[in-house]
Amino acid sequence: MDLASILYLGVTFGLFAIFAAIVFRTYRRKNKDRNESAKYSMLDDDE
Amino acid sequence: MDKPSYNTDIVRSFINWSIVWGLVAVLVGVIVSFQMIAPDLQLPPWLTFGRLRPLHTNAGIYGWGVGTIFAMFLYIVQRLCKTPLWSPGLAKFQLWFFNATIIAAAVTLLLGYTTSKEYHELEWPIDIMVVILWVSFAINIIMTIIKRKEEQMYISLWYMMAAIIGVAILYLVNSAAVPASLFKSYSAYAGTNDANVHWWFAHNAVAMALTAPPLAMFYYFLPKSTGVPIYSHRLSIIAFWSLIFMYLWTGAHHLLWTPVPDWIQTLAMAFSVMLIAPSWGSVINGYLSMNGQWHQMRENYLVKFLILGITFYGLQTLQGPMQSIRTFSAFIHYTDWVPGHIHMGTLGWVSLIGFAGIYYLVPRVYGKELYSVPLANLHFWLVLIGQLIFSVSLWIAGVLQAGMWNAMNDDGSLTYTFMETMVEMYPYWSARAFGGVIYLVGVLVFIYNLVMTVKKGSDPSPALVEAEGRA
Ligand code: HEM
Ligand code: HEM
Repeated sequence: MDLASILYLGVTFGLFAIFAAIVFRTYRRKNKDRNESAKYSMLDDDE
Repeated sequence: MDKPSYNTDIVRSFINWSIVWGLVAVLVGVIVSFQMIAPDLQLPPWLTFGRLRPLHTNAGIYGWGVGTIFAMFLYIVQRLCKTPLWSPGLAKFQLWFFNATIIAAAVTLLLGYTTSKEYHELEWPIDIMVVILWVSFAINIIMTIIKRKEEQMYISLWYMMAAIIGVAILYLVNSAAVPASLFKSYSAYAGTNDANVHWWFAHNAVAMALTAPPLAMFYYFLPKSTGVPIYSHRLSIIAFWSLIFMYLWTGAHHLLWTPVPDWIQTLAMAFSVMLIAPSWGSVINGYLSMNGQWHQMRENYLVKFLILGITFYGLQTLQGPMQSIRTFSAFIHYTDWVPGHIHMGTLGWVSLIGFAGIYYLVPRVYGKELYSVPLANLHFWLVLIGQLIFSVSLWIAGVLQAGMWNAMNDDGSLTYTFMETMVEMYPYWSARAFGGVIYLVGVLVFIYNLVMTVKKGSDPSPALVEAEGRA
């Protein structure tokens, strides 16, 4: 494998890792209320 | 809590102008669809098919599509951030510059000035206008988000930010050109690279102008219209990030079977198929948000527009990945199937959500009840039927066309001449023109209803007055 391929692969895995971290952070039980709160507060913004 | 004094004047103006450009787009769409069945219907040189077609696509995407984006984003951002617009003056400048840019685009296209890159036809001076326009919009929205009073960002804000940043990057990269004179430039990229960069731009324009903004609006207007929150905010966040992650790699599905390197094509194909997941993440979120609320499909005209809109988005994002597969692409590429796909997206998804947003906003920003709900329902049925006639007839046409192009005699020669395949298209193109006229009538009903709302609509219900803090 040449350097360019290793770089491509590295970037790809890096992006997947970032995505996995987002999923983990979003679905962590501890964050549930915080991550769902916006859907309620948007309803009372002008109603 | 005191309500912030939101700026509604600018929202009104953007709604009005986006409707004007939407009408132009649909009208010119109907004209070009008649030009295809009656080739004599041309007034050379300015009003020929070749000049009107880009006028149609630019008025549709940039006049109507982006015009509604401006109106809706400027309304939504203030509500979701619970703070007035950062700079009303800048928004006013944006309004006039928007119209100046669209007019400059229309005039130069009719005069025949074009880069000949589809969806990026405008020559470099107008490109610069587009950049100024977008930067003024972006600064206002981003600054409003920065000084928001609400800590948690609702999903619509994420889609709005993605659209703002995404369009800026795409447009700048694809604009790189060397001017030769005032209205002639040469792309900074050559050959295959040019095509690759261009379709990276064009497909992500679909993502950032025709997908992310209508999703931002859908996520805002659906709960607002039904009165119940979306099913899962967390699902919407995951769908958002995966959509952003995947879209950027898919441009080359427009270039299957071309000299673009095979691995780029395969990558685009794979990511296009993967896109089904985040797209349907939003569709399913929308449907599940209707749990226990499906009766509103009968009672609430806004919900009809929104749910049919997201349904067409769902169908579009199944059809699109299918078209990205090499073997299927070999069959339908260059055929009339593709305009069928496009108009399910633009007329079904983008426009239905735009109509819903405008119906939601007009009573609020003008302080009047909608003039006629039956007319809104009539509008819904006309545009739905018009669009279905349009798309379905073109899908049939595309399959027939592809079948005829591929038909071979025993000796390996082609069974049909190109002319014979063209002649076969006439009934389907006539059906498209007919569907277009129905759609146009629907749009006229919509405009009539809005004009009457502003002129004669009754005073708003107490709930509406309360909503806008005008009591
Ligand atoms: C009833 C309304 C409309 C009619 C009758 C119509 C008709 C047409 C026709 C005849 C073409 C040319 C197809 C060809 O070259 O084979 C076209 C292309 C196109 N239209 Fe429309 N149109 C309508 C509304 C819209 C709207 C509202 C938008 C955007 C928001 C839009 C976006 C496009 C695009 C992107 C293309 C290019 C298609 C391609 O490259 O294959 N159209 N339309
Ligand atoms: C998962 C999502 C999608 C995928 C994978 C996808 C895929 C494709 C493919 C492969 C083509 C090229 C067809 C051909 O020329 O052979 C295409 C064309 C097009 N699609 Fe989609 N599509 C998707 C969603 C959408 C949406 C939501 C819209 C919104 C209106 C849209 C608008 C367009 C337009 C305007 C073109 C025409 C480009 C041209 O002029 O050649 N697509 N799409």
